[in-house]
Amino acid sequence: MKKILFFLTALCFVVASCTKKKTDYEAEINTVVTEHYEFKEAVAITNSGYAISIEALNGTFYKGYNEIRLKITDKQTHIEVKASNVTFLPIITTANGQTISCPHSYSLDYQADSQYYSGYAVFTKESKTNENWDLYLSFTINGQSYSLKQNISVKEQTNKNLSMTAFTGKDEEQYFIAIVAPQKPKIAENQLIAGIYKNNKPSNPSSGVFPDPSQFSYSEVSDYVLQLDPRMPEPSMGNHSSLNNRDLIQRNDGLYAGVVNYTMTGNWTLNFILLNKNGRILKGTEVSKDFTPGVEGAKSDLFIDILF
Amino acid sequence: MKILSIVLVFLGLNVNAQNAPLQSDSTRLLKEVKVIGTAKRKIETELKMAVSVDEFLASSENISFIKRGAYAWEPLLNNMSSERSTLTIDGMHLFGACTDKMDPITSYVESNNLSTIDIKSGQEGSMHGATVAGSIDLKRKSTPFGMEKKVNGTYQSGFEFNNNQLFNLGNASYSSQKFVADGSVSFRKAGNYYDGNNNKVNHSQYQKFNSSVGLALKASPLSCLRVDAIYDQANDVGFPALPMDLWLSRAIITSVAYKKLFEEGLVKVWDTKLYFNAIEHYMDDTTRPENLVHMDMPGWSTTYGLISKVNLKKGNYSSEIQLNAYDNLSIAEMRMYPQDRNKRTMFAYSWPWVSTRFAGLSMNNSLEVSERSQVNFGVTLGLNYNHSKYVEFNWIFHPGASQSKTRILPGLHASYQLHINEFDFSVGTGYGHRAPSVSEGYGYYIYNSFDRYDYIGNPNLKNEVSYEANASAGFTKEKMGIQAKVNYFYIENYIIGRILSLGSPMNYQSVGVKGYTFLDHAKIFNLSLNTHYNFSDDLRWKGTLTYAHAVDEQDQTLPFIRPLSYQTSLRYVKNKISLQTALNGDFTQNNYSPQYGEDETPAYVTWNISADYTFSFKKLKPVIQVGAENLLNKQYSTYADWGNIPRMGRNIFTSLKVNF
Ligand SMILES: [Cu+2]
Repeated sequence: MKKILFFLTALCFVVASCTKKKTDYEAEINTVVTEHYEFKEAVAITNSGYAISIEALNGTFYKGYNEIRLKITDKQTHIEVKASNVTFLPIITTANGQTISCPHSYSLDYQADSQYYSGYAVFTKESKTNENWDLYLSFTINGQSYSLKQNISVKEQTNKNLSMTAFTGKDEEQYFIAIVAPQKPKIAENQLIAGIYKNNKPSNPSSGVFPDPSQFSYSEVSDYVLQLDPRMPEPSMGNHSSLNNRDLIQRNDGLYAGVVNYTMTGNWTLNFILLNKNGRILKGTEVSKDFTPGVEGAKSDLFIDILF
Repeated sequence: MKILSIVLVFLGLNVNAQNAPLQSDSTRLLKEVKVIGTAKRKIETELKMAVSVDEFLASSENISFIKRGAYAWEPLLNNMSSERSTLTIDGMHLFGACTDKMDPITSYVESNNLSTIDIKSGQEGSMHGATVAGSIDLKRKSTPFGMEKKVNGTYQSGFEFNNNQLFNLGNASYSSQKFVADGSVSFRKAGNYYDGNNNKVNHSQYQKFNSSVGLALKASPLSCLRVDAIYDQANDVGFPALPMDLWLSRAIITSVAYKKLFEEGLVKVWDTKLYFNAIEHYMDDTTRPENLVHMDMPGWSTTYGLISKVNLKKGNYSSEIQLNAYDNLSIAEMRMYPQDRNKRTMFAYSWPWVSTRFAGLSMNNSLEVSERSQVNFGVTLGLNYNHSKYVEFNWIFHPGASQSKTRILPGLHASYQLHINEFDFSVGTGYGHRAPSVSEGYGYYIYNSFDRYDYIGNPNLKNEVSYEANASAGFTKEKMGIQAKVNYFYIENYIIGRILSLGSPMNYQSVGVKGYTFLDHAKIFNLSLNTHYNFSDDLRWKGTLTYAHAVDEQDQTLPFIRPLSYQTSLRYVKNKISLQTALNGDFTQNNYSPQYGEDETPAYVTWNISADYTFSFKKLKPVIQVGAENLLNKQYSTYADWGNIPRMGRNIFTSLKVNF
């Protein structure tokens, strides 16, 4: 009996005592990445007896891609109200008084099964004391149309996996690329989803009524290809890359999807080359594929950084 | 010697069905049993009486070593890497926790807690689990019950001048009719060694502490219960051939066994053991300022297991049946630190929590056909299950590979032995499968500093299948003996790393990525020749010659194949003095394999001498020994020295041994 006790004691002693702790893999990626998967109310507006609620992930508008859910209810009865022609237009007034919008869905689509109007906005800047974002909303209920303006706050995106970039392509058009997913990458094969948008230059002068949506028009580009070459820029990683990655091509919902493999956590750079539907390079340069230990990896002139 | 034969009797040391049919617990029973037992080799070599486990193994003709420094050499059996053999301690499976093979199982024991090492070639070694090359079983000391002298002990101490190695080894035992206790403590500490040009080989120091305890209680006249534990700790071990060293490695190896003997009937012994061992291994690269990146690479390996075996004997037939089961979890991490330490560290698993579960039933039978001849045959059937917890790591290179995999590992062997007067002959054949190791199946960016590639495991590997033939012939007459042994392995699906055009290295020293894949086949041939001649009772000569040849499917040489090599020694014993001298050497390695990172290694020979003297001191009979290895201070490295690191130059050693 004594011996069995001795054995068990020895066993417990060992099981309980590793000199160094094993990494908690689930927690490891959480140390720099917070994942939000709950839609919460980001802004609430009351107008003419209607309550308008706009939801975003974590109840916050962030710089970059934001999925938007808009609900309209009767203020008295709290019953959902069916509206038509629901429009959504974010505009920033910059320090020098310019008004600029950002890629957004102007007309919000009604999702019958989940009972909200859905859309998105790719905020290109964070709100500052002298730079303000306003939402211009309009909708029609029972033939009566309503429009309203609401100031919102756009916060810095702390998740380094949901960044965006804006640039002028070789065709002199203004483009925007924003990462939509994965919010929390894994050391694995990840589906990489991005939105690619362009600013539609107005063809006619402003109507004079502010805001004139035709002056703030953006659209998803269609049938482009976003070539991908992910690499670790850290000098000691010697321009390390991964394999089995796939370029991003457009899906039915308008977003672009491809595959990125991350072989370890840390800093990654997604080096891109954007091709239009005719295969012409609009932006981006091929990067070296050489293994160069000790040298910081050179980036394409179109890239988005990742950190997880 | 009498004590030795009693040692064979109890708790003894597994006795092979073929050559020692039975174990029993009293000398009365012993007399009835014909113990043919091969003389147990003590843990010492011809030249040195206080050796490390590695030095002892090196004196066996079918073992060679990959050396990454002065410590923890990787034993190669039949010129095959350690994945291809089963390495066990009293049949218990342990798996090293180092992805760079810094910790073969042999590094977790010490010569003073072992009684012998049992090496079996090829499928004959499948008793403890599936194998291709054979098995190396490290047998611990265990004192029999009821010894005449109740308390026994040995103390050894020594100093080796080349690397300032100081060692102190002590072991003691207590034996009564009902109770036995064994214990050992050892400590070794060595500095950097110097090569034949008197240059210091940096990062070749080591420190090792080992202790063991074993307690046995006789539960009834024919049964007993035994608990054993080994604790081993190595600190600050340098690996000059690797880009990093070892900061700490610890192992605890425990078991509880129940053994029952039967006086009548077919079943003679039933022995069951439950075991648990845990290994932790932490590497350290902070001592290497030339490294571009600081990396933490901890590893853990935990194994639970069961062994249950029975020995049967009836007439001229004897048999050993063994059930083996174990569950191992291997984890290895790497965390790279960016040059700007405020930045995010880079993390990945090199072993993504890989479980291996094995259950197998083995049977060895031997039948004495006549006074002169004997037939041995054995069957093994194993079930091997692997599971990778974070399989997404494996999917990066092998998309869609299954998270778990079950393999059936069969094995068969048969041999025939014939003794005619002074001659003895044997022929044998074998067939067996083995499963890929954790690194081969599930490893992820494991840096191999020999060929400078990062290695990626492949979960889709097939079983390696070995077809084997062996033969031996010997002649012994009064003063002389000569024995030749050959074996030949035809191995299908031979697992090896091949350059991948995909992906780029992760470790900055590497030049590319290699993936484990398999060759259609490989062929390995080994030959050894042993001779001895006794000029007189005082003067004895021994010589060994080994030769190996191994090629892949395209007849290209495989790596780490020992060139023609020889060991020869002369020993003179007179009264209290004995003198030994030995020459060890390899011929030029003509058949090297540049495609696996090898270059030609020139021939070398080293000359060693030693002398010992037994004197009387009170009632004790201490022995002192003085000797020198590589007396001529030759600068050399062998074909299996990782990165061609030079071997030790002249090493003068002294030791003292006292039995009490
Ligand atoms: Cu290691």
